[in-house]
Amino acid sequence: MRLTVEDIGKSFPGVTALDGVSFEIRPGEIHALMGENGAGKSTLIKIITGLYRPDRGRLLVDGVPADFHSPRDAIAAGISAVHQERNLIPRFTVGENILLERLPRRHGLVDYGRVHREARRFLDMIDPSIDTRTEVRRLSVAQMQIVEIAKALSLEAGVLLLDEPTASITGHEADALFAVLRRLKAEGKAIVFVSHKLEEVTAISDRVTVLRDGKVAAAGEPIASMSRGRIVSAMIGREERVAEIGERDLRDRTAVLEARGVATALGHRDIGFTLRKGEILGLYGLVGAGRTELARALIGDVRITAGEVRVNGRPVAIASVPEAIRRHRIGYISEDRKAEGLILAHPVRSNVAITVWRRIASALGLVGRGAERRIVEPLVRKLDLKTPSIEQGVGKLSGGNQQKVSIAKWLAAGVEILIIDEPTVGIDIKTKTAIHELIAEITRDGVSVLLISSDMPEMITLADRILVMRDFALVGEIENSRRYEPMSRRIMSFIHQGAEGAAENEPNGPEAAHG
Amino acid sequence: MTLGQRLIANEWSAIAVAIVIGVVGLAATSPAFLTEFNLYVMMRSFCVVLVVAFAQMLTLAVGQLNLSIGALGGLVAIAIGGMMEVLGFPIAVALPIGLAIGALGGLINGLLTVRTGINGFIITLATASAFTGINLGITESIPFYNLPSAFVAFGTARLSAFPMLLIPPVIVALLLALFLARTVPGRQLLAVGGNPHAAQLSGVHMNGIVVLAHTLSGLLAAVGAILAVAQLGSAQPTIGQDWLIMSFAAPIIGGAALTGGHVSVAATALAVVLIVLIQNGMVLAQVDPYWVQFLLGALILAAVGLNRLRAVRAGEA
Amino acid sequence: MTATETLNPDPVMTVADANEAPARRGAFLAESGNLIGLAAIVLIFWVVLTSLRPGFISNFNLFTLSRSLAIDIVIGFSTMVVLATGGMNLAIGSIGVCAVMAAGFLMQGLGLPPLVAFAAALALGAALGWLNGFAIVRSGVNSFIITLASASLYLGAMLILSKAVTFNELPAAVADFGKLRFGGFVSPLLIIALAIGAALIVLFRFTALGREILAAGANPRAAELSGVPVGRVVIIAHTLSGALAGAAGLMLVARLGAAMPSIGQDWLLPSFLAPVLGGTLLSGGAVSVIGTMLGALLVTTIRSGLLVMQVGNFWLQLFLGVILLAAVMLDRYRGKVAERRSLGRR
Repeated sequence: MRLTVEDIGKSFPGVTALDGVSFEIRPGEIHALMGENGAGKSTLIKIITGLYRPDRGRLLVDGVPADFHSPRDAIAAGISAVHQERNLIPRFTVGENILLERLPRRHGLVDYGRVHREARRFLDMIDPSIDTRTEVRRLSVAQMQIVEIAKALSLEAGVLLLDEPTASITGHEADALFAVLRRLKAEGKAIVFVSHKLEEVTAISDRVTVLRDGKVAAAGEPIASMSRGRIVSAMIGREERVAEIGERDLRDRTAVLEARGVATALGHRDIGFTLRKGEILGLYGLVGAGRTELARALIGDVRITAGEVRVNGRPVAIASVPEAIRRHRIGYISEDRKAEGLILAHPVRSNVAITVWRRIASALGLVGRGAERRIVEPLVRKLDLKTPSIEQGVGKLSGGNQQKVSIAKWLAAGVEILIIDEPTVGIDIKTKTAIHELIAEITRDGVSVLLISSDMPEMITLADRILVMRDFALVGEIENSRRYEPMSRRIMSFIHQGAEGAAENEPNGPEAAHG
Repeated sequence: MTLGQRLIANEWSAIAVAIVIGVVGLAATSPAFLTEFNLYVMMRSFCVVLVVAFAQMLTLAVGQLNLSIGALGGLVAIAIGGMMEVLGFPIAVALPIGLAIGALGGLINGLLTVRTGINGFIITLATASAFTGINLGITESIPFYNLPSAFVAFGTARLSAFPMLLIPPVIVALLLALFLARTVPGRQLLAVGGNPHAAQLSGVHMNGIVVLAHTLSGLLAAVGAILAVAQLGSAQPTIGQDWLIMSFAAPIIGGAALTGGHVSVAATALAVVLIVLIQNGMVLAQVDPYWVQFLLGALILAAVGLNRLRAVRAGEA
Repeated sequence: MTATETLNPDPVMTVADANEAPARRGAFLAESGNLIGLAAIVLIFWVVLTSLRPGFISNFNLFTLSRSLAIDIVIGFSTMVVLATGGMNLAIGSIGVCAVMAAGFLMQGLGLPPLVAFAAALALGAALGWLNGFAIVRSGVNSFIITLASASLYLGAMLILSKAVTFNELPAAVADFGKLRFGGFVSPLLIIALAIGAALIVLFRFTALGREILAAGANPRAAELSGVPVGRVVIIAHTLSGALAGAAGLMLVARLGAAMPSIGQDWLLPSFLAPVLGGTLLSGGAVSVIGTMLGALLVTTIRSGLLVMQVGNFWLQLFLGVILLAAVMLDRYRGKVAERRSLGRR
């Protein structure tokens, strides 16, 4: 099957997600789709799978224009996808989830014998150890990912889209998946493969299309002709400017946050690190490694079950987020700005002043707008926050300015320790540098930052030291030389060592073997 | 999992234990409990509550709720009463029309919910008021008493302890269990409740399924209304006024997930047995009937607490 | 139906829609537009009713209207403060009647002076609301189910304790207060309701607590991570809701001159009508105190209007249901645009 995307455009209020995107996927090829967060990949995939309708342009399936009104239409046209979000029904069995699109029937009733037999067939292609009769909610994240892939395979569609299919599975499982993809390719299927991992892309794809800021930056170039450097520069554009942090020696600074042998209710074990005053301590790891969860434990949102946390040298037991903020001056900026970071419907003023309402309230509990303004306005200027007024709803600001609101709120609160989770997710390249410089600047003012990021260049640009986390444990700690190639190799080697070690004793092994 | 663990993890095991304790306790303390007539009375009051609980269970399954079940039931009750008494329609005509009115009311709820995207709570709160308004506007609160004798006789007929009235609810229960467990729309309904986004990506016609759930809910409310009219022997405009709490109590005690995607026909039926048992126990013990109201509230809270505990335990295991 | 049609043509909003992208529609414009629209509808009702039945603005009718308006307003506030947190309270009627019967018992059974009895009854209302909030926060179960159950529980307990007997030998001062008129037709109850409204405006606009309630309602996770003690704030909102439900019940006692166990059973619909008509978001995070008062005024006007038109009270329910439907469709039109946009970008 051949899928052609012609001059597709799609806008959301305030954002142009796709602007004149064209490319073609041919039968019998694996086509990599690359681009940074916010480049428009997800929107494009949602258009191809019928979730969104494009504002302009068209899709052609085997040269025939196709107009998808819903995912049903896309499935019917022979397009199946593995999406980034979890898309399984937790209470249904693995088998039923795999065949949900077209449950086999006998005498009008669902034939579960056949459901499990057929599901088995597709599951066996990747991981024969998963029982089709297990309820999905009892699987591990990696197993769920495998079920999703089996589900997409089961449609035996002509076009298969995989959006970050390897984000949470191990190397062995990824190898099995690649073998299946090569087989499907040999059968003449057209495969779209979205991944951040350049190694994977170069290993498996035939051609690559790169999106940048909603436009095509490289259109279906043969992978052999694209060096790693060319792909990266297509992704981030020419005007890439890296924030200059400069050499800093912070080894003599006092420790502001220390963890010793910390374990949490979510499964972290033996976590130990030291964050020094004015330092940016990086916490690198793959999605699902437990970094965000560790941040939550440090601010009192997840229970710490063992070990010791010290703030400014004194042992503390933080029971709640307000306590972390008011007593210990620790703030946390979530990676999910919309769900956990900002109150989009409320104005800039409220979103910044929320952390200080109690402090600036009069004896009667009254908060004056003037008092709020006196705190918020200088910060807006200091951070160069672009907003028509501080009464503007935060939902109407750009991603970069939203992130500045998040930072402003913690500067208003006067935090000494700031945990920042994926600070530049969904933020365009130019603003990204500004955010990086801002983070460096606040550390020069004495704030200490624990930086969580999956973005390797960001990590190497910003962090003074880097902790590597895998499976809820720290597997390495490195002084950052700020030289990309050797640093990224060392970091990845820690992650892979962890991977090989963990393959022997998978935490969910017994559950899987049970079947 | 061992059999013991399975029993603990199972929604209905706690209810079953409570029922056994209740039956043994009542049988030991009250000689009237195990008489044929008392059993008949209990099973008779079981019928309407069961169908009403199912009506709510279907909307909960898809992640919605329906506050208008009682109001719709009242409207159907007076509609069939009026058709049979005033218009002189035969039973075989009046009842299907009554069922159609129920389904239509549910269809309206469903369409309004998916078309506007508004919280089902507010939609059904509003339609409940509208249905009640039509009911009262037509009847001015005056019941229909002169119903066909065959219909009234059905409401009181029995085979030893078994009321004839029990037949429709049992059929409904079996059909519903089959529908939810083995048919494609039934599975899709639970899929939408379990993860709407996933169901949609899997090509399930989500809006259609939500409308289907509301329509079936309305249809069951109508079945409940017909049973209530047969049971009372008259079509009272007040039928349905006390259904709200019942309709939620049984599915929730039966372990239905409030977020949708998980309901159990068997556990809901057992929960209704428990509720009827408590009501009957109150009558036999001759305590204030107001205790039923109080205990129902307490029972829901206990069930919610228990479900919560179970979920927490499952999450940590 | 006139009511449905007149809800839509809202001059301010229509112009804004035509000329600007939906995203540019400011919250201020939407809110004041809604209030002006609502006030216009009420005005139309008054003009029509008065021209058809001049008795509608007789001192007597206005006095009756002002008394029931006062009660509708406070019932609406009781739901509004919980809607602000993104939750709901189905137990308002039950809490109201518990406060009513407690006051009745304290006055008639124990012979306590009305002021003491009323204060105790308000405290009981607040305590029952606190229990709701506590159960919701501690169990993590949504407020719908908890308050549905507690409504049954509170009502059952009240009926068991009171045996459903009305207290109708209350001190004369209670009924006298209810009959008091200022300026020919203004009941002191209405002045109390307006005072509560003023206090709520101060709470939500100018206090840390009120702002925190709104933040917790708009996005509980973000609020929590910004240091708002969300659990405590939700409990306070429910406590306030309970106290307001108690207050509404006591106002009804003053109007009726008796404490009846049937009070509160028909509060569910009006309690949602007033805030929802007034533009309070169901999803939490935004309230309109003045809107709630106008919403209550519309409800009271319709009820009184049907009465003077002798349409018969039986159709009232249908009217109110249809009006609520019309209002929420408008509400969705305003609120869901923003919500949809944020979902769409994911």
